[in-house]
Amino acid sequence: MKLGNVKSLRKYSIPTLLSMGWLAIIGLIAVLYPLISSSDPKATYENDIAVGPFTNGHLFGTDTNGYDIFQELLHGTRLTLLVAVVAVGVGGAIGSLIGIFSGYVRGKIDAVVNVVFSAILSIPNLVLALGLVAVLATAPDVNSTVSSWRQVFVVVLSLTIVIIPILGRIARGATLSWSNREFVTAAKSMGAKNSTILWKHIVPNVLPAVMAIAFLAVGVVIVAEGSLSLLGVGIPDGNSWGAVLAAGRNDMEYTPHVMYFPIICIALTVISCNQIGDVIRQSLDKREARI
Amino acid sequence: MAGSGKAHLRNSEEIILRVEDLTMEFPAGGKKFVRAVSGISFDIERGETLAIVGESGCGKSTLGKAILQLPKPTSGSVNFQGQELTTLNKDALRDIRPAMQMIFQDPVSSLDPRLSVAKIVDEPLKIWDRGDEMWRSNKVDELLNAVGLDPALVRDRRSYEFSGGQCQRISIARSLALEPLLLICDEPVSALDVSVQAQILNLLQDMKERYGLTLIFISHDLAVVKAVSTRIMVMYLGKVCEISAPDELYSRPRHHYTHALVSSVPIPDPNVAARRTTLEGEPPSPMDPPSGCRFRTRCPGATDLCAQEEPQLHEVSAGHYVACHWPRP
Repeated sequence: MKLGNVKSLRKYSIPTLLSMGWLAIIGLIAVLYPLISSSDPKATYENDIAVGPFTNGHLFGTDTNGYDIFQELLHGTRLTLLVAVVAVGVGGAIGSLIGIFSGYVRGKIDAVVNVVFSAILSIPNLVLALGLVAVLATAPDVNSTVSSWRQVFVVVLSLTIVIIPILGRIARGATLSWSNREFVTAAKSMGAKNSTILWKHIVPNVLPAVMAIAFLAVGVVIVAEGSLSLLGVGIPDGNSWGAVLAAGRNDMEYTPHVMYFPIICIALTVISCNQIGDVIRQSLDKREARI
Repeated sequence: MAGSGKAHLRNSEEIILRVEDLTMEFPAGGKKFVRAVSGISFDIERGETLAIVGESGCGKSTLGKAILQLPKPTSGSVNFQGQELTTLNKDALRDIRPAMQMIFQDPVSSLDPRLSVAKIVDEPLKIWDRGDEMWRSNKVDELLNAVGLDPALVRDRRSYEFSGGQCQRISIARSLALEPLLLICDEPVSALDVSVQAQILNLLQDMKERYGLTLIFISHDLAVVKAVSTRIMVMYLGKVCEISAPDELYSRPRHHYTHALVSSVPIPDPNVAARRTTLEGEPPSPMDPPSGCRFRTRCPGATDLCAQEEPQLHEVSAGHYVACHWPRP
């Protein structure tokens, strides 16, 4: 997938190109935010409270506090993507590690890992994340407050734990099937060590399957983070798309546009991730079919 | 009437592999076991080609892998060049592996789809850290040339870009990289077209002469085996039926099972009427094999004795051993 090479891009369909484009744009916004925007997302425009989109230079309008929605969303891109990428990256790495190891050694260890994964997967994502947040982000003293960085950390941690069994299971399944191939037996018969087999044969073959699902998981995490915010336990203070959405929830009747824009951002991102995950999966299926 | 016994084992300086009473069991749910190989003994002299034939599911491939200790057999002994493989520890076993290589049945599945051909053939050399980069690269070219592939054309391509026959050539090149003494070929041509089968068989024959290999050739196809082997061992349901030189086996099969197998080989002449002995029924389950001789349930010459007593291998003529109470004339 070489970007920048026009010829190599031509083999992708228009929806795929649009998805790549959208993800590239929000990726750039997240990375370059300090360069792009110099205005404070928490600046209140007292003369333009709760105005609709495209008024007085407020592209997406303002909410009842007088915050500019466009500025808030630009600012929120960072944390939203950070949460998703870290949760999927760390969760995927840990899950793959456990899944590949357990699928390769098989036997009792694998049976235990499989049961644990199944048990965690049987709890709905959001309920699990909510439970973890509730346990981890509450201060022992009711009157003291939990710092917002700790809240962010806890949200990331909870979503990471949600992701581990999802991707771990994919890695385990792929490992089970690849380690049965004759080229693994061949490598053993040549005297290859288990570490060599895992690193040279299993990991490169398992990784694409995990990648395909990881893109879907990014979508899952963004939605879960938004849902947590909506329930009031996510990223605080309108610092992510989900949090902007949650802030707009109270004035839904008067200023519905406050909710439209974060929803559109979340939806576009989730759809783009799913599309790219699908493309990866299809290219894998094609290759598999030839084998 | 498959049986056990060791009457056929030879006592020679030249024996490079001796397998005795090899048994391989797999758990089959609950307390049941499938005994895929039960008490097989045989030996191979340096430079010989031993063919192992039998129908699907008789334990041929399991036997081939058990010799390589992949996985270790349940019981029995595998003696390779005076070293007992079944009791060796992991490191010592690993040191012996280069001397025994294997070619697998499915040429496509035995090559990693993510590696280039050059990397695949280089893999055994890299594992054993032979020579430097330059030397290995030349060695890979030499091996690819030896198996009839143009290195310049194939080096950087992936296995799925090749036909089955070409993949099997790559697989052969890889198995020869470490210059093994013993090469176990597990149905190397059964997945290939007939025209390609001949090419691969000729190639194996060439390689055998060129590198002084000893071959174990596992197959279900007697016609293929006749062309390559110096000795044939017939297996039925995890046991040995008959061992003999190929000419003797084809002209005068003594075991009823071998007879049925030999008569099933098609004769490429439309004017010759086929005289076939067809076997009735299916092979019994190896989870619950028949008493006495394992072949008795399908044998035209079975008697009460066959149900009571397991026949042992005995010599019926020079170098021809059969495990049957009532061998054919």
